[in-house]
Amino acid sequence: MSLDYFTSILKPMLQGSQMTILLFFISIVLSIPLGFLLTLAVNSRFKPLSWLAQAYIYIMRGTPLLLQLLIICFGLPMIPGIGQYLVLDRFTAACIGFILNYAAYFAEIFRGGLLAIDKGQYEAAQVLGLNKFQTTTRIILPQMFRIAIPALANESVTLVKDTALLYAVAVPELLHYAETAVNRDFTIFPFFVAGAIYLIMTLVLTLIFKWIERRFTFE
Amino acid sequence: MAIIEVSKLKKSFGNLDVLKQITFDVNKNDVVAVIGPSGSGKSTMLRSLVHLEKIDGGSIMVAGDNLVKNGVYSKPQEIRRVTSRMGMVFQHFNLFPHLTVKDNLEMAPRLVKKESAKELSSRSMVLLEKVGLADKASAYPANLSGGQKQRVAIARALMMNPDIMLFDEPTSALDPELTGEVLQVMKDLAEEHMTMIVVTHEMGFAREVANRVLFMDNGEILESGTPQELFDHPKFDRTKVFLKRSLK
Ligand SMILES: Nc1ncnc2c1ncn2[C@@H]1O[C@H](COP(=O)(O)OP(=O)(O)OP(=O)(O)O)[C@@H](O)[C@H]1O
Ligand SMILES: [Mg+2]
Repeated sequence: MSLDYFTSILKPMLQGSQMTILLFFISIVLSIPLGFLLTLAVNSRFKPLSWLAQAYIYIMRGTPLLLQLLIICFGLPMIPGIGQYLVLDRFTAACIGFILNYAAYFAEIFRGGLLAIDKGQYEAAQVLGLNKFQTTTRIILPQMFRIAIPALANESVTLVKDTALLYAVAVPELLHYAETAVNRDFTIFPFFVAGAIYLIMTLVLTLIFKWIERRFTFE
Repeated sequence: MAIIEVSKLKKSFGNLDVLKQITFDVNKNDVVAVIGPSGSGKSTMLRSLVHLEKIDGGSIMVAGDNLVKNGVYSKPQEIRRVTSRMGMVFQHFNLFPHLTVKDNLEMAPRLVKKESAKELSSRSMVLLEKVGLADKASAYPANLSGGQKQRVAIARALMMNPDIMLFDEPTSALDPELTGEVLQVMKDLAEEHMTMIVVTHEMGFAREVANRVLFMDNGEILESGTPQELFDHPKFDRTKVFLKRSLK
Protein backbone atom coordinates (compact mmCIF):
# COMPACT_ATOMS: atom_id res chain seq x y z
CA MET A 1 0.00 0.00 0.00
CA SER A 2 1.62 3.20 -1.16
CA LEU A 3 1.49 6.68 0.20
CA ASP A 4 0.07 7.77 -3.15
CA TYR A 5 -2.87 5.45 -2.72
CA PHE A 6 -3.41 6.77 0.79
CA THR A 7 -3.52 10.39 -0.36
CA SER A 8 -5.72 9.48 -3.32
CA ILE A 9 -8.44 8.10 -1.07
CA LEU A 10 -7.88 10.63 1.69
CA LYS A 11 -8.64 13.62 -0.49
CA PRO A 12 -12.28 12.81 -1.32
CA MET A 13 -12.84 11.60 2.20
CA LEU A 14 -11.65 14.88 3.65
CA GLN A 15 -13.95 16.62 1.23
CA GLY A 16 -16.75 14.41 2.46
CA SER A 17 -15.82 15.33 6.03
CA GLN A 18 -16.60 18.93 5.21
CA MET A 19 -20.24 17.94 4.75
CA THR A 20 -20.08 16.04 8.01
CA ILE A 21 -18.60 18.99 9.87
CA LEU A 22 -20.95 21.49 8.28
CA LEU A 23 -23.97 19.40 9.22
CA PHE A 24 -22.61 19.05 12.73
CA PHE A 25 -22.15 22.78 13.23
CA ILE A 26 -25.46 23.81 11.75
CA SER A 27 -27.25 21.20 13.83
CA ILE A 28 -25.58 21.95 17.12
CA VAL A 29 -25.75 25.73 16.81
CA LEU A 30 -29.47 25.66 16.10
CA SER A 31 -30.68 22.64 18.06
CA ILE A 32 -29.26 23.76 21.42
CA PRO A 33 -31.21 27.05 21.46
CA LEU A 34 -34.26 25.29 20.09
CA GLY A 35 -33.92 22.62 22.76
CA PHE A 36 -33.69 25.34 25.39
CA LEU A 37 -36.90 26.94 24.10
CA LEU A 38 -38.56 23.53 24.22
CA THR A 39 -37.53 23.18 27.87
CA LEU A 40 -39.11 26.55 28.62
CA ALA A 41 -42.24 25.43 26.78
CA VAL A 42 -42.39 22.17 28.74
CA ASN A 43 -42.11 24.17 31.98
CA SER A 44 -44.62 26.76 30.83
CA ARG A 45 -47.59 27.36 33.06
CA PHE A 46 -49.71 27.58 29.91
CA LYS A 47 -50.62 23.90 29.83
CA PRO A 48 -51.46 23.44 26.12
CA LEU A 49 -48.00 24.74 25.21
CA SER A 50 -46.42 22.39 27.72
CA TRP A 51 -48.36 19.40 26.38
CA LEU A 52 -47.47 20.28 22.82
CA ALA A 53 -43.78 20.50 23.69
CA GLN A 54 -43.93 17.22 25.60
CA ALA A 55 -45.66 15.48 22.71
CA TYR A 56 -43.07 16.84 20.33
CA ILE A 57 -40.21 15.59 22.48
CA TYR A 58 -41.86 12.21 22.88
CA ILE A 59 -42.31 11.76 19.14
CA MET A 60 -38.83 12.96 18.25
CA ARG A 61 -37.14 10.72 20.81
CA GLY A 62 -39.48 7.82 20.24
CA THR A 63 -38.87 7.36 16.53
CA PRO A 64 -35.63 6.72 14.65
CA LEU A 65 -33.78 9.74 13.32
CA LEU A 66 -33.37 7.82 10.08
CA LEU A 67 -37.14 7.59 9.68
CA GLN A 68 -37.47 11.31 10.34
CA LEU A 69 -34.83 12.08 7.73
CA LEU A 70 -36.53 9.86 5.17
CA ILE A 71 -39.86 11.55 5.83
CA ILE A 72 -38.40 15.03 5.43
CA CYS A 73 -36.37 14.16 2.32
CA PHE A 74 -38.72 11.84 0.51
CA GLY A 75 -42.02 11.82 2.35
CA LEU A 76 -42.95 15.50 2.44
CA PRO A 77 -42.83 15.94 -1.35
CA MET A 78 -45.41 13.18 -1.66
CA ILE A 79 -48.06 15.05 0.31
CA PRO A 80 -50.83 15.76 -2.19
CA GLY A 81 -51.33 19.40 -2.96
CA ILE A 82 -48.51 20.99 -1.00
CA GLY A 83 -45.86 18.35 -1.64
CA GLN A 84 -44.38 20.17 -4.61
CA TYR A 85 -43.46 23.08 -2.35
CA LEU A 86 -41.73 20.81 0.12
CA VAL A 87 -39.02 19.54 -2.17
CA LEU A 88 -35.87 20.55 -0.36
CA ASP A 89 -32.26 20.27 -1.26
CA ARG A 90 -31.33 17.04 0.49
CA PHE A 91 -28.60 18.54 2.63
CA THR A 92 -30.99 21.26 3.81
CA ALA A 93 -33.61 18.63 4.50
CA ALA A 94 -31.08 16.63 6.50
CA CYS A 95 -30.10 19.71 8.52
CA ILE A 96 -33.74 20.35 9.39
CA GLY A 97 -34.17 16.73 10.43
CA PHE A 98 -31.09 16.80 12.66
CA ILE A 99 -32.05 20.11 14.25
CA LEU A 100 -35.60 19.03 15.00
CA ASN A 101 -34.46 15.69 16.38
CA TYR A 102 -31.53 16.87 18.47
CA ALA A 103 -33.51 19.78 19.91
CA ALA A 104 -35.71 17.18 21.62
CA TYR A 105 -32.70 15.47 23.19
CA PHE A 106 -31.15 18.75 24.28
CA ALA A 107 -34.50 19.80 25.77
CA GLU A 108 -34.47 16.67 27.92
CA ILE A 109 -30.92 17.41 29.03
CA PHE A 110 -31.84 20.96 30.07
CA ARG A 111 -34.93 19.71 31.85
CA GLY A 112 -32.75 17.30 33.81
CA GLY A 113 -30.51 20.25 34.70
CA LEU A 114 -33.48 22.18 36.02
CA LEU A 115 -34.64 19.24 38.12
CA ALA A 116 -31.20 18.95 39.67
CA ILE A 117 -31.32 22.45 41.12
CA ASP A 118 -32.12 22.49 44.82
CA LYS A 119 -35.33 24.25 45.79
CA GLY A 120 -33.31 26.18 48.35
CA GLN A 121 -31.89 28.20 45.45
CA TYR A 122 -35.34 29.50 44.55
CA GLU A 123 -36.12 30.17 48.20
CA ALA A 124 -32.90 32.08 48.83
CA ALA A 125 -33.52 34.18 45.73
CA GLN A 126 -37.10 34.90 46.76
CA VAL A 127 -36.16 35.91 50.29
CA LEU A 128 -33.49 38.25 48.90
CA GLY A 129 -36.21 39.98 46.90
CA LEU A 130 -35.37 38.78 43.40
CA ASN A 131 -38.39 38.54 41.14
CA LYS A 132 -39.20 35.47 39.03
CA PHE A 133 -37.38 36.74 35.96
CA GLN A 134 -34.24 37.67 37.88
CA THR A 135 -34.27 34.35 39.67
CA THR A 136 -34.55 32.46 36.41
CA THR A 137 -31.93 34.36 34.47
CA ARG A 138 -29.39 35.02 37.24
CA ILE A 139 -29.69 32.01 39.48
CA ILE A 140 -31.39 29.08 37.78
CA LEU A 141 -30.31 29.11 34.14
CA PRO A 142 -26.57 29.52 34.77
CA GLN A 143 -26.70 26.51 37.07
CA MET A 144 -28.84 24.56 34.63
CA PHE A 145 -26.33 25.09 31.83
CA ARG A 146 -23.47 24.14 34.10
CA ILE A 147 -25.16 20.91 35.12
CA ALA A 148 -26.00 20.17 31.48
CA ILE A 149 -22.47 20.45 30.07
CA PRO A 150 -21.37 16.80 30.46
CA ALA A 151 -24.59 15.48 28.95
CA LEU A 152 -24.39 18.04 26.14
CA ALA A 153 -20.87 16.83 25.40
CA ASN A 154 -22.07 13.27 25.28
CA GLU A 155 -24.94 14.05 22.96
CA SER A 156 -22.67 16.10 20.69
CA VAL A 157 -20.37 13.13 20.21
CA THR A 158 -23.40 11.08 19.23
CA LEU A 159 -24.33 13.82 16.78
CA VAL A 160 -20.94 13.57 15.08
CA LYS A 161 -21.49 9.87 14.55
CA ASP A 162 -25.10 10.33 13.48
CA THR A 163 -23.97 12.52 10.60
CA ALA A 164 -23.22 9.22 8.88
CA LEU A 165 -26.99 9.02 8.35
CA LEU A 166 -26.48 11.48 5.50
CA TYR A 167 -25.42 8.37 3.66
CA ALA A 168 -29.00 7.10 3.75
CA VAL A 169 -30.38 10.19 2.06
CA ALA A 170 -27.62 10.13 -0.53
CA VAL A 171 -25.77 13.26 0.49
CA PRO A 172 -22.11 12.47 -0.24
CA GLU A 173 -20.18 12.62 3.00
CA LEU A 174 -17.21 10.97 4.63
CA LEU A 175 -18.64 7.47 4.77
CA HIS A 176 -19.90 7.61 1.20
CA TYR A 177 -16.41 8.23 -0.18
CA ALA A 178 -14.96 5.54 2.04
CA GLU A 179 -17.40 2.99 0.71
CA THR A 180 -16.82 4.05 -2.87
CA ALA A 181 -13.12 3.39 -2.39
CA VAL A 182 -13.72 0.06 -0.65
CA ASN A 183 -15.91 -1.21 -3.49
CA ARG A 184 -13.61 0.05 -6.18
CA ASP A 185 -10.32 -1.17 -4.75
CA PHE A 186 -11.37 -4.28 -2.87
CA THR A 187 -9.67 -3.19 0.32
CA ILE A 188 -11.04 -2.48 3.76
CA PHE A 189 -8.40 0.16 4.40
CA PRO A 190 -10.61 3.20 3.54
CA PHE A 191 -13.02 2.19 6.28
CA PHE A 192 -10.21 2.43 8.81
CA VAL A 193 -9.29 5.83 7.48
CA ALA A 194 -12.90 6.91 7.88
CA GLY A 195 -12.90 5.55 11.42
CA ALA A 196 -9.74 7.50 12.20
CA ILE A 197 -11.28 10.70 10.88
CA TYR A 198 -14.37 10.23 13.07
CA LEU A 199 -12.12 9.60 16.05
CA ILE A 200 -10.20 12.79 15.42
CA MET A 201 -13.42 14.77 15.17
CA THR A 202 -14.84 13.35 18.38
CA LEU A 203 -11.54 13.84 20.15
CA VAL A 204 -11.44 17.53 19.23
CA LEU A 205 -15.03 17.90 20.34
CA THR A 206 -14.38 16.15 23.62
CA LEU A 207 -11.41 18.41 24.30
CA ILE A 208 -13.48 21.50 23.56
CA PHE A 209 -16.17 20.37 25.98
CA LYS A 210 -13.58 19.53 28.63
CA TRP A 211 -12.32 23.06 28.30
CA ILE A 212 -15.84 24.49 28.61
CA GLU A 213 -16.46 22.30 31.62
CA ARG A 214 -13.31 23.54 33.33
CA ARG A 215 -14.10 27.11 32.42
CA PHE A 216 -17.48 26.78 34.14
CA THR A 217 -16.35 24.93 37.21
CA PHE A 218 -17.01 27.26 40.07
CA GLU A 219 -14.21 26.39 42.41
CA MET B 1 -42.75 47.78 70.85
CA ALA B 2 -43.85 44.83 68.75
CA ILE B 3 -42.16 44.65 65.38
CA ILE B 4 -43.73 41.31 64.49
CA GLU B 5 -47.26 40.43 65.49
CA VAL B 6 -48.56 37.01 64.66
CA SER B 7 -52.09 36.07 65.57
CA LYS B 8 -54.05 32.86 65.14
CA LEU B 9 -51.69 31.65 62.43
CA LYS B 10 -53.04 28.45 60.90
CA LYS B 11 -51.29 26.25 58.42
CA SER B 12 -51.93 22.73 57.22
CA PHE B 13 -50.36 20.44 54.67
CA GLY B 14 -53.25 18.41 53.34
CA ASN B 15 -55.09 17.25 56.43
CA LEU B 16 -52.07 17.62 58.68
CA ASP B 17 -52.48 20.70 60.86
CA VAL B 18 -48.92 21.88 61.24
CA LEU B 19 -49.62 25.20 62.92
CA LYS B 20 -52.70 25.51 65.11
CA GLN B 21 -53.68 29.09 65.84
CA ILE B 22 -50.27 30.39 66.81
CA THR B 23 -50.11 33.82 68.43
CA PHE B 24 -46.98 35.64 69.51
CA ASP B 25 -45.22 39.00 69.30
CA VAL B 26 -41.61 39.88 68.79
CA ASN B 27 -40.39 43.19 70.10
CA LYS B 28 -37.80 45.30 68.42
CA ASN B 29 -34.29 44.23 69.48
CA ASP B 30 -35.57 40.93 70.84
CA VAL B 31 -33.59 37.78 70.32
CA VAL B 32 -36.16 35.02 70.31
CA ALA B 33 -35.07 31.40 70.39
CA VAL B 34 -37.57 28.87 69.11
CA ILE B 35 -37.10 25.36 70.39
CA GLY B 36 -39.13 22.19 70.19
CA PRO B 37 -39.16 18.64 68.94
CA SER B 38 -38.74 17.71 65.30
CA GLY B 39 -41.91 18.17 63.28
CA SER B 40 -43.45 20.60 65.76
CA GLY B 41 -43.75 23.29 63.07
CA LYS B 42 -40.79 25.56 63.87
CA SER B 43 -39.56 25.86 60.29
CA THR B 44 -43.06 26.24 58.91
CA MET B 45 -43.71 29.10 61.32
CA LEU B 46 -40.48 30.86 60.36
CA ARG B 47 -41.01 30.30 56.65
CA SER B 48 -44.53 31.70 56.88
CA LEU B 49 -43.13 35.01 58.07
CA VAL B 50 -41.19 35.52 54.82
CA HIS B 51 -43.93 34.10 52.63
CA LEU B 52 -42.09 30.89 51.78
CA GLU B 53 -45.19 29.13 53.05
CA LYS B 54 -48.68 30.35 52.41
CA ILE B 55 -50.77 30.26 55.58
CA ASP B 56 -54.39 29.20 55.75
CA GLY B 57 -55.62 31.60 58.39
CA GLY B 58 -54.63 34.28 60.86
CA SER B 59 -52.58 37.44 60.56
CA ILE B 60 -48.95 38.40 60.28
CA MET B 61 -47.94 42.00 60.76
CA VAL B 62 -44.39 43.31 60.40
CA ALA B 63 -43.48 46.82 61.50
CA GLY B 64 -47.09 47.87 61.35
CA ASP B 65 -47.78 46.49 57.87
CA ASN B 66 -49.86 43.43 57.17
CA LEU B 67 -48.37 40.56 55.25
CA VAL B 68 -51.62 38.74 55.74
CA LYS B 69 -54.71 39.77 57.67
CA ASN B 70 -57.31 37.23 58.78
CA GLY B 71 -56.09 34.83 56.14
CA VAL B 72 -56.14 37.38 53.31
CA TYR B 73 -52.77 38.27 51.83
CA SER B 74 -51.86 41.82 50.90
CA LYS B 75 -51.14 42.82 47.31
CA PRO B 76 -47.93 41.39 45.79
CA GLN B 77 -46.15 44.72 46.01
CA GLU B 78 -47.06 45.09 49.66
CA ILE B 79 -45.94 41.52 50.32
CA ARG B 80 -42.56 42.31 48.81
CA ARG B 81 -42.24 45.42 50.90
CA VAL B 82 -43.12 43.58 54.11
CA THR B 83 -40.89 40.58 53.48
CA SER B 84 -37.98 42.81 52.45
CA ARG B 85 -37.67 43.84 56.09
CA MET B 86 -36.57 40.33 56.95
CA GLY B 87 -33.42 38.42 56.13
CA MET B 88 -33.38 34.65 56.30
CA VAL B 89 -30.59 32.19 56.98
CA PHE B 90 -31.21 28.57 56.07
CA GLN B 91 -29.94 25.35 57.56
CA HIS B 92 -28.31 24.41 54.27
CA PHE B 93 -26.95 27.89 53.50
CA ASN B 94 -28.41 28.00 49.97
CA LEU B 95 -25.52 30.06 48.66
CA PHE B 96 -25.44 30.53 44.89
CA PRO B 97 -22.73 28.07 43.80
CA HIS B 98 -21.99 29.80 40.49
CA LEU B 99 -21.17 33.12 42.10
CA THR B 100 -18.17 34.18 44.14
CA VAL B 101 -18.65 35.08 47.78
CA LYS B 102 -18.62 38.77 46.87
CA ASP B 103 -21.18 38.30 44.11
CA ASN B 104 -23.35 36.24 46.43
CA LEU B 105 -23.49 39.30 48.65
CA GLU B 106 -23.89 41.91 45.93
CA MET B 107 -26.25 40.36 43.41
CA ALA B 108 -29.53 40.96 45.22
CA PRO B 109 -28.91 44.57 46.27
CA ARG B 110 -27.61 45.32 42.79
CA LEU B 111 -30.74 43.93 41.13
CA VAL B 112 -33.30 44.90 43.72
CA LYS B 113 -32.00 48.18 45.11
CA LYS B 114 -30.06 49.32 42.05
CA GLU B 115 -27.15 50.35 44.22
CA SER B 116 -23.95 51.49 42.54
CA ALA B 117 -21.11 49.01 42.13
CA LYS B 118 -18.81 51.13 44.26
CA GLU B 119 -21.19 51.40 47.15
CA LEU B 120 -21.97 47.68 46.96
CA SER B 121 -18.35 46.76 46.91
CA SER B 122 -17.51 48.75 49.99
CA ARG B 123 -20.54 47.49 51.86
CA SER B 124 -19.88 43.87 50.99
CA MET B 125 -16.28 44.18 52.13
CA VAL B 126 -17.37 45.69 55.44
CA LEU B 127 -19.75 42.80 56.02
CA LEU B 128 -17.24 40.16 54.99
CA GLU B 129 -14.81 41.76 57.38
CA LYS B 130 -17.43 41.56 60.09
CA VAL B 131 -17.97 37.82 59.59
CA GLY B 132 -14.22 37.30 59.29
CA LEU B 133 -14.13 36.31 55.63
CA ALA B 134 -12.69 39.30 53.84
CA ASP B 135 -9.97 37.07 52.42
CA LYS B 136 -12.58 34.80 50.81
CA ALA B 137 -14.28 37.51 48.76
CA SER B 138 -13.33 35.97 45.43
CA ALA B 139 -13.69 32.33 46.47
CA TYR B 140 -16.58 30.18 45.32
CA PRO B 141 -18.87 28.55 47.89
CA ALA B 142 -17.62 25.09 46.91
CA ASN B 143 -14.25 25.99 48.40
CA LEU B 144 -15.57 27.05 51.79
CA SER B 145 -16.17 25.03 54.93
CA GLY B 146 -19.72 24.75 56.23
CA GLY B 147 -19.08 27.33 58.90
CA GLN B 148 -17.66 29.76 56.37
CA LYS B 149 -20.60 29.17 54.05
CA GLN B 150 -23.05 29.97 56.81
CA ARG B 151 -21.18 33.14 57.70
CA VAL B 152 -21.34 34.19 54.05
CA ALA B 153 -25.07 33.45 54.05
CA ILE B 154 -25.51 35.69 57.09
CA ALA B 155 -23.53 38.47 55.42
CA ARG B 156 -25.57 38.04 52.25
CA ALA B 157 -28.81 38.49 54.18
CA LEU B 158 -27.41 41.54 55.98
CA MET B 159 -26.58 43.18 52.63
CA MET B 160 -30.30 43.87 52.22
CA ASN B 161 -30.30 45.87 55.48
CA PRO B 162 -33.09 43.88 57.11
CA ASP B 163 -34.69 44.99 60.34
CA ILE B 164 -35.17 41.41 61.41
CA MET B 165 -33.06 38.31 60.88
CA LEU B 166 -34.59 34.84 60.83
CA PHE B 167 -32.43 31.78 61.33
CA ASP B 168 -33.66 28.23 60.71
CA GLU B 169 -31.29 25.88 62.51
CA PRO B 170 -28.24 27.72 61.21
CA THR B 171 -25.77 25.32 62.80
CA SER B 172 -27.56 21.99 62.41
CA ALA B 173 -25.79 21.07 59.19
CA LEU B 174 -22.35 21.87 60.57
CA ASP B 175 -19.68 19.71 62.11
CA PRO B 176 -19.67 20.39 65.86
CA GLU B 177 -16.30 22.14 65.72
CA LEU B 178 -17.66 24.68 63.20
CA THR B 179 -20.78 25.75 65.07
CA GLY B 180 -18.86 28.14 67.33
CA GLU B 181 -17.79 30.53 64.58
CA VAL B 182 -21.37 30.87 63.32
CA LEU B 183 -22.85 31.28 66.77
CA GLN B 184 -20.25 33.96 67.47
CA VAL B 185 -21.37 35.97 64.44
CA MET B 186 -24.97 35.65 65.61
CA LYS B 187 -23.96 36.72 69.09
CA ASP B 188 -22.28 39.80 67.63
CA LEU B 189 -25.46 40.62 65.77
CA ALA B 190 -27.49 40.27 68.94
CA GLU B 191 -25.12 42.62 70.72
CA GLU B 192 -25.74 45.19 67.99
CA HIS B 193 -29.44 44.83 68.87
CA MET B 194 -30.52 43.14 65.69
CA THR B 195 -34.00 41.72 66.10
CA MET B 196 -33.63 37.97 65.64
CA ILE B 197 -35.75 34.84 65.61
CA VAL B 198 -33.60 31.76 65.86
CA VAL B 199 -34.91 28.23 65.51
CA THR B 200 -32.21 26.20 67.18
CA HIS B 201 -31.17 23.03 68.94
CA GLU B 202 -28.31 24.93 70.59
CA MET B 203 -29.67 25.22 74.12
CA GLY B 204 -26.50 26.97 75.27
CA PHE B 205 -27.01 29.69 72.69
CA ALA B 206 -30.70 30.02 73.54
CA ARG B 207 -29.95 30.40 77.22
CA GLU B 208 -27.05 32.77 76.81
CA VAL B 209 -28.09 35.02 73.91
CA ALA B 210 -31.87 34.94 73.67
CA ASN B 211 -33.99 37.15 75.86
CA ARG B 212 -37.06 35.09 75.08
CA VAL B 213 -37.60 31.43 74.35
CA LEU B 214 -40.62 29.87 72.66
CA PHE B 215 -41.21 26.18 73.11
CA MET B 216 -43.20 24.72 70.24
CA ASP B 217 -44.84 21.35 70.38
CA ASN B 218 -47.26 19.77 67.98
CA GLY B 219 -48.11 22.95 66.09
CA GLU B 220 -48.57 25.12 69.15
CA ILE B 221 -46.49 27.43 71.27
CA LEU B 222 -46.82 25.48 74.47
CA GLU B 223 -44.96 28.00 76.59
CA SER B 224 -42.72 31.00 76.32
CA GLY B 225 -40.67 33.11 78.67
CA THR B 226 -37.23 34.27 79.56
CA PRO B 227 -34.51 31.63 79.27
CA GLN B 228 -34.44 31.38 83.05
CA GLU B 229 -38.17 30.79 83.26
CA LEU B 230 -38.26 28.28 80.48
CA PHE B 231 -35.10 26.33 81.18
CA ASP B 232 -35.12 26.44 84.96
CA HIS B 233 -38.83 26.42 85.70
CA PRO B 234 -40.69 24.85 82.79
CA LYS B 235 -44.41 24.69 83.42
CA PHE B 236 -45.36 21.70 81.33
CA ASP B 237 -44.28 18.11 81.43
CA ARG B 238 -43.74 18.05 77.69
CA THR B 239 -41.33 20.95 78.01
CA LYS B 240 -39.51 19.18 80.81
CA VAL B 241 -39.22 15.98 78.82
CA PHE B 242 -37.94 17.84 75.77
CA LEU B 243 -35.38 19.81 77.77
CA LYS B 244 -34.19 16.74 79.58
CA ARG B 245 -33.61 14.98 76.29
CA SER B 246 -31.85 17.87 74.59
CA LEU B 247 -29.65 18.87 77.48
CA LYS B 248 -28.11 15.44 77.59
N1 LIG C 1 -44.00 20.91 52.17
C1 LIG C 1 -44.56 20.06 53.05
N2 LIG C 1 -45.50 19.18 52.67
C2 LIG C 1 -46.07 18.34 53.56
N3 LIG C 1 -45.76 18.31 54.86
C3 LIG C 1 -44.83 19.16 55.32
C4 LIG C 1 -44.17 20.07 54.43
N4 LIG C 1 -43.29 20.80 55.16
C5 LIG C 1 -43.39 20.33 56.43
N5 LIG C 1 -44.31 19.37 56.53
C6 LIG C 1 -44.70 18.69 57.76
O1 LIG C 1 -45.07 19.65 58.70
C7 LIG C 1 -44.65 19.31 59.99
C8 LIG C 1 -43.84 20.42 60.58
O2 LIG C 1 -42.65 20.56 59.85
P1 LIG C 1 -41.55 21.62 60.21
O3 LIG C 1 -40.48 21.48 59.19
O4 LIG C 1 -42.14 22.96 60.37
O5 LIG C 1 -41.05 21.10 61.61
P2 LIG C 1 -39.78 21.55 62.45
O6 LIG C 1 -40.29 21.86 63.80
O7 LIG C 1 -39.03 22.59 61.73
O8 LIG C 1 -38.94 20.21 62.53
P3 LIG C 1 -37.36 19.99 62.47
O9 LIG C 1 -36.85 20.23 63.87
O10 LIG C 1 -37.23 18.55 62.10
O11 LIG C 1 -36.80 20.91 61.47
C9 LIG C 1 -43.90 17.99 59.86
O12 LIG C 1 -44.79 16.96 60.20
C10 LIG C 1 -43.56 17.94 58.40
O13 LIG C 1 -43.50 16.62 57.97
MG1 LIG D 1 -37.16 22.67 60.74
